[in-house]
Amino acid sequence: MDNGTSNSASENETITLKSCDGIEFHIDARIANRYTLLNNWNGGESACIPNVNGKVLEKVLEWCEHHINDPQLNCGDDDSRRRNTIIEEWDENFLSCDQDMLFEIILAANYLEIKPLLDLGCKTVANMMKSKSPEEIRSAFNIDNDYTPEEEEQFRKENEWAEDY
Amino acid sequence: MIVLPNECLSEILKKLESYCRSLFSCLLVNRQWCRIVVPILWSKLNISKNQKLIRRCLLTLNTEEQAQLIPFKINLPNDSRSLFNYTDYTTVFNIDWDDGIKNWLKHDFNNLKNSEIIHVVQAIRHSLILMILRTSKNLKCLSIYGKQVNLPKILDKCATLTSLNLSFNDLDFEELKALATALYENTTLNKLDISGNELDSEKVKVLTEVLYF
Repeated sequence: MDNGTSNSASENETITLKSCDGIEFHIDARIANRYTLLNNWNGGESACIPNVNGKVLEKVLEWCEHHINDPQLNCGDDDSRRRNTIIEEWDENFLSCDQDMLFEIILAANYLEIKPLLDLGCKTVANMMKSKSPEEIRSAFNIDNDYTPEEEEQFRKENEWAEDY
Repeated sequence: MIVLPNECLSEILKKLESYCRSLFSCLLVNRQWCRIVVPILWSKLNISKNQKLIRRCLLTLNTEEQAQLIPFKINLPNDSRSLFNYTDYTTVFNIDWDDGIKNWLKHDFNNLKNSEIIHVVQAIRHSLILMILRTSKNLKCLSIYGKQVNLPKILDKCATLTSLNLSFNDLDFEELKALATALYENTTLNKLDISGNELDSEKVKVLTEVLYF
């Protein structure tokens, strides 16, 4: 990834990103421009990305490079993007990582405001929840149940209509 | 294990907005998830077929809305107070068919005659729509398919909708006038569907006068 400029034409500018743990990445400047991910970038040749470590930043940049020629989505497309949970094959393979890495990518995409990647990560996690019972979801995501049995039963009763869809 | 903040969890759960069964499971995970899921699950309600949802909504009627059902001697469900004001979160409300209401009636009142059912169904529809208009903090879309009694009283409360569907409502002249007034007062509506209504020149005139104003 240190030479991660293979996707860019020679005339394109490159800039250097530094992760919070000091790892440097040389990237196509179009990526930086496109996602406004560099809030700390002053237009110079390098920028620091606090809060994202090298391992995660490498994955995020790999995704950005692969999608550099994707059409930009307008705000109006938000709803249609949100409604479907379909994921392309490359993206599916890209996010076939362990759960911690998947969550780290979501956090980084949220922090860096890379909406399409955030969207993709969220869809992937949402798909993991489909057709699962509450107990299976708790177990898959290591979540404690803090309901009292009475409370849980009442919520179940008040929302049981949703089971019939 | 990485813990996602509410902001990200909310984005994830919004992806399931069309999957009510999955949202139902997510709602029962724990209290934090519940607080995020309830507004998503209750945002878009279609009460056309779901008798359990109708039963739950009937519990939200206030005294005035319940009073409309007294002549029909309907005993409304009488559960303990809900844990959430669920319909506060409703932004889209659809009644396309009456199957849900009819099924609820048949389930709880199997001695009703068919001739009575039509009137009871109309009254229940009306009470439920008024309840949604009263309780929802941000109702944007209302869809009432088929004839609706007391429509002017409903239209009177539609000033902030962005979408209104009154397909096959058999709109009469008085209802058209009420609709025209509602359109005049509503500055946010960007979609109106009155397909399936027979409009003669007099009715069209009432509407066009408002639209050209």
